[in-house]
Amino acid sequence: MTSAISIPAPPAEFRAAGTDLSERRRSGLSQGPLIDIAATPNAAGIEWDANGTARIGALTTIETMAIDLRLAAAYPGVAASAQELATPQIRHLATLGGNIAQRSRCWYFRNPHIDCLKKGGSDCPSRDGNHLYGVAFDLGPCVAPHPSTMAAALLAYDAEITTNQRSGLMIDEVLGDGSDGAADHALAPGEMIERIALPPPLRGERALYKRAISRSYAEWPLAEVCARAVITDGAFRFVRITAGGVAPVPLRLSASETILQDAPASAAIIAEAARQASKGANPLPMTAYKLDLLSGLVRDLLERLAA
Amino acid sequence: MSSMTINGRIAPLPDHPEALLIDVIRDDLDLTGTKLVCGAGVCGACTVLVDGAPVVSCLMPARAAAGKSVTTIEGVGTTDLHPVQKAFMAHDALQCGFCTPGFVVEAVAFHDRWRATKGTAVPSREEIGAALSGHLCRCGAYDGIFRAVAAACSGQFDGDHFASPRVEARAKVTGSAKYTVDIRHDGQLEGVILRSQLAHARTVELDLAPARAVPGVAAVISLLGDDRMVRFVGQPIAAVAAKDRRIALAAIAAIRISSERLPSVIGLDAARRPDAPVVFEKANRKKAGNVSEGPGGPASWNGNIRGPSSPFSQKAKKARGWIADARAAQNPLLVEETFRTATQQHACLEPHATVARFDGDRLTVHVSTQAVFHVMELLAKRYKLAHDKIRVIAEHVGGGFGSKGALGIETTAAIDLAREAKAPVRIAYDRHEELSVTGYRPAAELKIALLPSAQGDLKALSLTAHADTGAATNSTLAALARLIYPAEAKDLVDFDVISNLPPGAPFRGPGGPPMAFALEQAIDEAALRMKIDPIALRKRWDPDRNRQRLYDWASSLDVWRNAARTAPQTGRYRRGVGVASGYWLYLWQPGVKIELAVKGGRIIASTATQDIGQGSRTVIANTVAREFGLEPDDIEVRIGDSGLPEGPGAGGSRSTASVVPPILLAVQKLKTAIEQQAQRAPVVGSNAPWRELIAAAPDLVVAAERPEDGKPTEPGLRSPLRDVGFMGIVFGWMMRQFANIAVGAGVPSSVQVIEVEVDTWLGHVRVLSVHTGIAVGKIAAPALARSQATGSVIQGLGYALYEARETDPRTGDVLSAGMEDYRIPGIADTPEFEVHFDEGGFDHVLGGSVGIGEVATVPTSPALANAIRNATGIRFTEIPIRPDRLIAALKARIAA
Repeated sequence: MTSAISIPAPPAEFRAAGTDLSERRRSGLSQGPLIDIAATPNAAGIEWDANGTARIGALTTIETMAIDLRLAAAYPGVAASAQELATPQIRHLATLGGNIAQRSRCWYFRNPHIDCLKKGGSDCPSRDGNHLYGVAFDLGPCVAPHPSTMAAALLAYDAEITTNQRSGLMIDEVLGDGSDGAADHALAPGEMIERIALPPPLRGERALYKRAISRSYAEWPLAEVCARAVITDGAFRFVRITAGGVAPVPLRLSASETILQDAPASAAIIAEAARQASKGANPLPMTAYKLDLLSGLVRDLLERLAA
Repeated sequence: MSSMTINGRIAPLPDHPEALLIDVIRDDLDLTGTKLVCGAGVCGACTVLVDGAPVVSCLMPARAAAGKSVTTIEGVGTTDLHPVQKAFMAHDALQCGFCTPGFVVEAVAFHDRWRATKGTAVPSREEIGAALSGHLCRCGAYDGIFRAVAAACSGQFDGDHFASPRVEARAKVTGSAKYTVDIRHDGQLEGVILRSQLAHARTVELDLAPARAVPGVAAVISLLGDDRMVRFVGQPIAAVAAKDRRIALAAIAAIRISSERLPSVIGLDAARRPDAPVVFEKANRKKAGNVSEGPGGPASWNGNIRGPSSPFSQKAKKARGWIADARAAQNPLLVEETFRTATQQHACLEPHATVARFDGDRLTVHVSTQAVFHVMELLAKRYKLAHDKIRVIAEHVGGGFGSKGALGIETTAAIDLAREAKAPVRIAYDRHEELSVTGYRPAAELKIALLPSAQGDLKALSLTAHADTGAATNSTLAALARLIYPAEAKDLVDFDVISNLPPGAPFRGPGGPPMAFALEQAIDEAALRMKIDPIALRKRWDPDRNRQRLYDWASSLDVWRNAARTAPQTGRYRRGVGVASGYWLYLWQPGVKIELAVKGGRIIASTATQDIGQGSRTVIANTVAREFGLEPDDIEVRIGDSGLPEGPGAGGSRSTASVVPPILLAVQKLKTAIEQQAQRAPVVGSNAPWRELIAAAPDLVVAAERPEDGKPTEPGLRSPLRDVGFMGIVFGWMMRQFANIAVGAGVPSSVQVIEVEVDTWLGHVRVLSVHTGIAVGKIAAPALARSQATGSVIQGLGYALYEARETDPRTGDVLSAGMEDYRIPGIADTPEFEVHFDEGGFDHVLGGSVGIGEVATVPTSPALANAIRNATGIRFTEIPIRPDRLIAALKARIAA
């Protein structure tokens, strides 16, 4: 009989709105000291530089980002991602910084009675167990996909992140490369996201976001894609495609981008780019379906961008 | 100390950083309309307004509400009901009511925003679905919620004129309805159960002393059985009662256990292997649970396999022979397939809960139960108490669906703790417990062979079912195929497959939906091969007179007549239409008594039944009121208390058929008594003669017991069990003798036509419309019957498309133990509904009404699968038909 998992000296955790942390406190998963940051002054809101860069405070709510008209005009992929994640009540409370730094939604991790890499354990029980919602790009020892929808959108926009310790971080520097199965991000102890800057959008660019889920709403994505494109004279002049729900970190779908770059915005090219979305994937026994969903999402978004 | 304004009053907020807003609202302020369900922000039952915006109070730290204005359901419509509340009442947008406060609070915010910017424009279903996407209703009241929100936004409920078809609706839309989890006595303790983390182990030592030593702990008890074995993850080991939940959790963590771990086996496939560890040795087989509502017949055991049980077979050897011959001859009409269904959780939003309290030698137990009277009888037996020393109370019950029909460990543990602690004790399961150890509809593997004759009749049917019953037995799936589609021969075999998983339990039409999933798809396939319309084939093969009428209705539907049942389509989005039939037995409970009284000029109807959302309060009120020419509101209905005359359990769709006949007898008695006592006759030409007589009558009491049904006048109409012959008669006798359930004549039936659209790129199925024809006799409460029908279908859609309990294949841990991972349908997944009631067929029942709760969920999963077959050309043999399965099947088809 094992009793509760022994976690060596539980680390302190920052609490913004608490939409992730409160659940983990209730289940006993999080037991370290709490550092409330919800009342931090000047940490919420969107500011605009003269050159069109948006600077978003880490405590800006997802709802604010979903309804801000200027943000939606400049960064439609970010706004659409904010509109589709979670539920209206969660979007009202949850913050951008919290969305990026939330912990894994893996059902082994969330079960307080099961040991796993993210709880100081030595292996991932999902890998040889039930990983129906696991990764299809197996990049590290933990097979849970990263839960942050906003991170995938920010990756598509080359967002720069400032923390209380560092600045100029790209999203992949904040979230790591997935090789550390114990962590959901690469922030140092005590390091906190403060601000996210989005570079000015390109002239004429458009963007879309979509997730694949079984029901209509309120489900963690089986796969999700954010796609930006500039199409002029019937050809892709710029393309950026990122995916979530399929890997331990948000992914750029570079192979798809390469196919599209300067290619005609035709159904055939788009279909080929959609096929290339799974390049480099190494799905688990139960997750091959995610690659088809990924391909379907890329095709859906590109066809609409090209329309 | 900081504070918030709540419902217009200042309230202090605790300094403790761990306190969540819901704790303050429910525990400190006793505003119990706000419900805790998922604890994860998924279901919305805890929704309150903070500065006018809906938030989930289960996740919001209490200190975040400092200086803010909070409105709970109790603060909505305090002087006059809000238009949304009136609309929810008028459109019956609720059943058990446990999710209702959350829905109402959210809908009020949506309504007020909508009206401020859009006036009285009517919001679309899509707009309403998106706005309410953070809420879940397990009863599936979504059809009414759509109508209610749209009507309120359009201004239809700005005035005071509205009627509520459900008699207790006001209490549910205002949050004043008290459920078991809301009961709080002075000095009440909180009980928590320590559960096994191993799937199979013998407990060597259990040391409760460290828990007793924790300050604030009042009682600690062992829950181990005499064999000291645990056979599934989550099996109860001990329980603690303490001042609050936090202390109780600390105390169970302090309990020291040493166990000898035993080899375990998880699930249907592993448990059938010859070398699988055996879960129940012969001496312990009685410790297995029961997944059916009735008693089990004798069956042999072989390791973890219990069976074969084949009491309802008919010339089984002949059936097997004919099918083997057809297979050898490659008869193209022989349909053979193996189907698999997933484990479905009841997922009641009110968890299993009990509050137990002793007053001297009198025991009062609030239980979230489907059977107050039966639970009282079981407790009387267990604790050797007289019936009048025990009161079991369930005023409102937040869903049951079959899982709350028995005496649960949460009840006996709360009683034992209360006795030891000498204080009231509440045990309310958390969501992990509710979604792992309270039972489920077992998964099943169904092998079917269906052989039409050369003349186009049904010659032989073979169905072998293996049910994944966990630490339980007594599944009945294949046998149910005897009572529909008569054939020359049927080979129907049931097996239980026992493994180290929590025990299954009865769930809405136990055995019916998985049986129908296999049988109704086989019928559909036969129709395709015979090139005959699937409804026409059913009409030919299924002589049941109720369903014959429903087939005529279904084949006349535009959606059916216009469907292209030819070549499957090829584009991204593909539409299809499917049909399926379902039936359930007409059950009623002997011995049920109704007491009717006149007190102070008002009629009171009493019986010890309970309303779990199905509407028994309303059925009683409507029936009495109709007989006296009164309004339902004129009748006071007393239920939910075992001290009342014996009433029916709310299971087996038996409530209506058990209460309406004795009500009608009691009404006759009461009318006679009133007339005898009347000082003067009513005014000649009065519109409401009984109203006058009752108002003037002295206090009176009459009672009547459920009579046997009359002889059906229609020739050939009899209990379907009679058609099964001797074993059917034995089965009926056992049901009556050991489960106190009578099987009546006539078959409650449902025929469903479903239209779907499949997105082949994203593996998504959208259900466009469901047309459900239902024959359950006269409808006692029409609006509520529609709610029951659409709710049953929505649960069936969940079964077909989304719901699956997932477990770890090695440890037996339930992984889908939260509402994020156990996926029940949301409002935006709700199709358009057409509900057709055929009100004939039960004239031999006094009042003409039988129950509706189960029959409408039986045909949903096969009708949906048949529609997907029609759209894509793919026969789905496994549910739920999730994106992963759709994608895999589409790919396999392209590859082939």
